[in-house]
Amino acid sequence: MNRFYSTPRSEVKRKSKDRFFSVVCILIAGLVVLTLLTLLGSIGATGSSWLNWDFLFAEHREDNPEQSGIGQAIFGSVVLCGLCAALALPIGVGTAILLEEFQPRNRVLRWLHWLVQLNINNLAGVPSIVYGILGVTAFVYMFNWFPSITPNDPPSWEIGATHIYQVKTLGGQYVKFVCPDKNESALRVTEPIEAFDDAGNTFMINVVQSRGDAPGDPVLKNRTVLNGKLTSRYSEKTWYHLHLPFGKTVLSSGLTLALVILPIIIIASQEAIRSVPDSLREAALGMGATRWEAVRNVVLPAATPGFMTGAILAMSRAVGEAAPVLAVMGGVMGTTNGLTNLMDKSPVLPVLIYKWAGDENAGFENLSAAAIIVLLLMLLVMNSFAVWLRNRYEKKLA
Amino acid sequence: MTSNTATVTDRPSFENFRRRNQALGKFSQTLVMIALVGCGLFSLAVTIGIVVMLATQSVGFFYNKEVAVNFWQFLTDTRWTIGQTQGIPRYGIMPLVSGTLRITGIAMLISLPVGLICAIYLAEYATSSVRSVLKPVLEILAGIPTVVLGFFAIKFITPWLLQPLGDFKTFNAGSAGIAVGILCLPLVTSLAEDALRSVPNSLREGAYGLGSTRLEVTLKVVVPAALSGIISAFLLALSRAIGETMVVALAAGSTPTLTADPRGPSQTMTGFIVETFQSESIEPDSIGYYSMYAVAAVLFLFTFTITLIGQLIRMRYREVYN
Repeated sequence: MNRFYSTPRSEVKRKSKDRFFSVVCILIAGLVVLTLLTLLGSIGATGSSWLNWDFLFAEHREDNPEQSGIGQAIFGSVVLCGLCAALALPIGVGTAILLEEFQPRNRVLRWLHWLVQLNINNLAGVPSIVYGILGVTAFVYMFNWFPSITPNDPPSWEIGATHIYQVKTLGGQYVKFVCPDKNESALRVTEPIEAFDDAGNTFMINVVQSRGDAPGDPVLKNRTVLNGKLTSRYSEKTWYHLHLPFGKTVLSSGLTLALVILPIIIIASQEAIRSVPDSLREAALGMGATRWEAVRNVVLPAATPGFMTGAILAMSRAVGEAAPVLAVMGGVMGTTNGLTNLMDKSPVLPVLIYKWAGDENAGFENLSAAAIIVLLLMLLVMNSFAVWLRNRYEKKLA
Repeated sequence: MTSNTATVTDRPSFENFRRRNQALGKFSQTLVMIALVGCGLFSLAVTIGIVVMLATQSVGFFYNKEVAVNFWQFLTDTRWTIGQTQGIPRYGIMPLVSGTLRITGIAMLISLPVGLICAIYLAEYATSSVRSVLKPVLEILAGIPTVVLGFFAIKFITPWLLQPLGDFKTFNAGSAGIAVGILCLPLVTSLAEDALRSVPNSLREGAYGLGSTRLEVTLKVVVPAALSGIISAFLLALSRAIGETMVVALAAGSTPTLTADPRGPSQTMTGFIVETFQSESIEPDSIGYYSMYAVAAVLFLFTFTITLIGQLIRMRYREVYN
């Protein structure tokens, strides 16, 4: 072609500009790939040698990074993630159904509908730390409606906890009793009370005025307490232990994270409902189904894989989210008893990574990187599962 | 004939059954609608809850028993000394805003051009084999938790990238800004790519037919047509960068400074909030506690306005093609 038509100068220029831009594009794309590789490479280089079987099950140890691990943090993350999904999923799917399937005709309601939709998109843009503050106000302190929890006193409203006082008898053993007034932190034994010992025997405590009055019989001596003897208190908590306000606990964090992922779940569920072809709905309505029957029997089953995909992606966001948890629960790195009920604190992976990364002492940098590797692997598994789910059910519907 | 009479006698009971069933169906439908509307209102309640909480608690910052903070002083004073024990306390939010703007500025300088070019490349230039590499890379990047990028900023970007270049401190705004930029990049790319892809091919073909090069088609036809989507992508990335917390908390340090120098430490609004929550010394009902809400209110105002503008731009100026 060029043999017959001389190419105008400007065209050469224009084409070389085009070629130049595509080179720029390739370079920038290469830079992005390089960034990811550097990111993963630097983390792998720092952390992979610290990754071993013990690391997965051990607890955090301040003094000894080599023996530290992420056992509690993994458990905490899994519990937290399940908790927030269980809370956010029903509300999220409900909102999505409302927005997609029940579009009102009334003018005021339509305006409200539009407002809810706009609001959800805005909620998705609210920084997670603001949700953290909301969590602190609404769940940890509950707007100060209840007396605040102090470390020494049990909360004013609670279930699933028994406060047991124990006192040392003249025989040297400890006997225990349950006191109706749980707010007394320094109770003194002044009169006979019903008590029990470790063997489970129930008896009345025998109160004497001085050591000289102690009975000779060793069994009786073990049930005898000096008048005015100071008791100590401890609490036995069941798995359903609950108190108000929730305080800095796993439940508060779960509720807060549920708020964080709610808009994500709603938006993903809306997409899932929108992807159900209209012909299915129309067929159901044509058979005489009501709107809700059509939704329940036709749309929801068809959209369920989409809901699940969205839920998993939202959960993977929740697993990596550190700021709200840090705000609500504080920088917990380990607890002595582990996570036994929802009113406990627990470390979670991102918070532990944050605390370790900020620790200047030798070894913690490597620990942090090793924990990041585990976290990224968890996310990889979750996301692969979501993709698998999507691919599997997409084909069936089409 | 006998069968005919049987149907006649049967019909009323069948009708009754149907009517009862319908009544039950209507009742359960009403219940379901109430539940669904409740779900929808819940999300509104969350927003209202955030606004009311920030408003009422911020009042405690300006009217409390410890010290009365002047609202004008809060907006204009150039020092922020909450959390520091010595000296006269100063409550000017400017240093925190400056920290946020510095880091956001660096992040936007990186993520907007790179993100837009990546989006153009993916939508207009790339072959399917390149797409199959670049797309998953961006998806992985989008899924990386922010605390991991914070780790990357403090352990890699600062010592290996920035400190050889100049006098960067251990905690500096530059590394945090770069990491936040990396964080925003996939967001910009995916939203901008969606916007570019929604431009119908007929426009492109028209321009090609007139003899345009690919670059001209992209810059003069496709990008202007997708401009509202691209701008809303930029705004979403901006609000994301302003609200980013963990990267900043790890890499930017905890000294509020009012400069434009990216080499020194800086504290952002989000960084301050997280720092305050962590320190056990802050008690409820103290000035430090209320200051958190005041800062959060400013932060929320920033991000909410930007997101809202982004939403409205997308709704109003979206070019509709048939």
